[in-house]
Amino acid sequence: MSNLSLDHVVKRYGDLTVVKDVSLGIKEGEFVSLLGPSGCGKTTILRMVAGLIEPSGGAIRIASTDVTRLPPNKRNIGLVFQSYALFPHMTVFENVAFGLRRKGESGTTLDGRVNEALAMVRLPGYGERYPRQLSGGQQQRVAMARAIAPRPSVLLFDEPLSNLDAKLRDEMQIELKRLQRELGITTLFVTHDQGEALSLSDRVCVMNDGIIQQFAAPEDVYRRPATAFVASFIGKPNRLKATVRGGRLTLGEGLDLRTDSALGADGSATDVFIRQEAINLTPTGADDANRIPGTIALRSFSGPQVQYVIRIAGGHELVVEAASSGTASHLEHGQPVTLEVRPQDVLVLGESVRS
Amino acid sequence: MSQMRTGLLLFSPLLLVLVGAFVIPLILLAPTSFQEYQPGAGIAAGSFTLENYIRIVADDYYREVVVRTLGLGVAVTLACLLLGYPVAYLIVRGNPRWRLALTLLVIFPLMLNLVVRSFGWIVLLTNRGVVNNLLIDLGVIETPLKLMFNLTGVMIGLTHIYLPFMVLMLVAALQNVPRDVESAAATLGSSRLHVFRAVTLPLTAPGIIAGSILVFVLTISALVTPRMLGGPTYQVMATLIYDEYMQLLDWPSGSALSFSLALVTILIIWMSSRMTKRWAGLA
Repeated sequence: MSNLSLDHVVKRYGDLTVVKDVSLGIKEGEFVSLLGPSGCGKTTILRMVAGLIEPSGGAIRIASTDVTRLPPNKRNIGLVFQSYALFPHMTVFENVAFGLRRKGESGTTLDGRVNEALAMVRLPGYGERYPRQLSGGQQQRVAMARAIAPRPSVLLFDEPLSNLDAKLRDEMQIELKRLQRELGITTLFVTHDQGEALSLSDRVCVMNDGIIQQFAAPEDVYRRPATAFVASFIGKPNRLKATVRGGRLTLGEGLDLRTDSALGADGSATDVFIRQEAINLTPTGADDANRIPGTIALRSFSGPQVQYVIRIAGGHELVVEAASSGTASHLEHGQPVTLEVRPQDVLVLGESVRS
Repeated sequence: MSQMRTGLLLFSPLLLVLVGAFVIPLILLAPTSFQEYQPGAGIAAGSFTLENYIRIVADDYYREVVVRTLGLGVAVTLACLLLGYPVAYLIVRGNPRWRLALTLLVIFPLMLNLVVRSFGWIVLLTNRGVVNNLLIDLGVIETPLKLMFNLTGVMIGLTHIYLPFMVLMLVAALQNVPRDVESAAATLGSSRLHVFRAVTLPLTAPGIIAGSILVFVLTISALVTPRMLGGPTYQVMATLIYDEYMQLLDWPSGSALSFSLALVTILIIWMSSRMTKRWAGLA
């Protein structure tokens, strides 16, 4: 029994279909991310769940009740916006109390619930301040307190961390995860940040072009991408053109790759994905690894990582990431190197679809 | 320092015009308002009296005109607010295809001369005007309603003329209300009516105040429309000042009335700007 389910949901704007027949079931207490590039329909889905946009077709159920035609105020949801959307003319206390008052709470019960919510987001004693007196991170915490205070049956997040700077974002991620675990509220989290989605979620729903590409646990999405889109969207993949010849994958003359993926028909062209971080630049490695000779074409240092562009036979170029503290951190331009890739990291996802 | 000088330089052309054509003549009028006027003889030289000011409060006729002017200001402001808010809301929140047409409709009257618009109302409101003829033909009334030379006529005319200012101010205020904040209230259990009352209305308060000041100040200082629709007998402060100067040649009394009107205006603007600051601080 799903706590939140979307059943063949469609959203059209004129001739444009933004959400194409999406079905999704989220279990009680589960944290699910909708991940995808901008314009993939993820925010539209969130707003349809919230009741701010009416679907063109399909049904949405919260706790087994059909809410498809219900206005937002009848759905018992909590929504946290990217823009915080706090009430600027009310104190923090009144902001958090807003939803509780709508549910008829008052007096000491109300005070208690508001203070409890503020304590949960680690902002006790901030009740008398106005939103404009708080920093961005604090405002987002208030927005969270406001959303959780009325104990909604579903929590919705619309890219809540993208307005915060990188350091604060990492802190808030942990905070958010902790909060969701404590409360056990079913959560739908929209983001375009794969790191956020992978680290926060129980399951990730990768979307593109209004269609669900893969709905699976973060590790599965990362290690076993279901489609070429997922493989190219998650992580930092190298995309190579290869052909299947004699049951083997070849990048060119004398450059065969072993792979765990299933291969297409003999002679077919296919895309191969190898993640930057899956390539080993050290001379020692597992014996079953693919060994590819190449030369360093470009080196770029970015703090904890060093990125290399490596040219291999057949005119292919690969981007490889190495730890800047490792042995492969000081390779020079033009230096010959050997790349090692384990067969399970050579991903073949159907025949070549794009040019 | 140099920033201040640049600011002063940019401001100086307007400042010169304002000082030369407005402030200096006004200051020159100040002594006049304390002088004695002798009918037939003009201003008594070297006289000093507070009589011109005392009369505005003490004299029944003058007091009536002052109260009427301020009452008219309040009434026209409220009418513009009540008529303008739904229009502004429709412009901002309605179908985007209608936005331009509606905005033009609001602005269009501003392109017509004030006298022409006031004449238009005379044609409509006079005893044998369009409105009365229509009502009589329909059998609603038997004798013409008195729609002119009284509060009704002046109020209708002024409300029509100043409505665009109010609408434009309210449109700007409504555009500044973030939709997400309204959506947030809805997801927290607010019905559409409650969202409006608890979020939209308070957040547009600065615009409401600004629009109201504008309409109020314009209304209490309006001359042409009250003269045309109020006639020679239904006086407001502006028409009275005009008559004191041009008909009675009683410059001292006219000056005293002018200063009183200016004082009221400045007081209103000062009070409401304080109010706006308090609201804007929160918004």
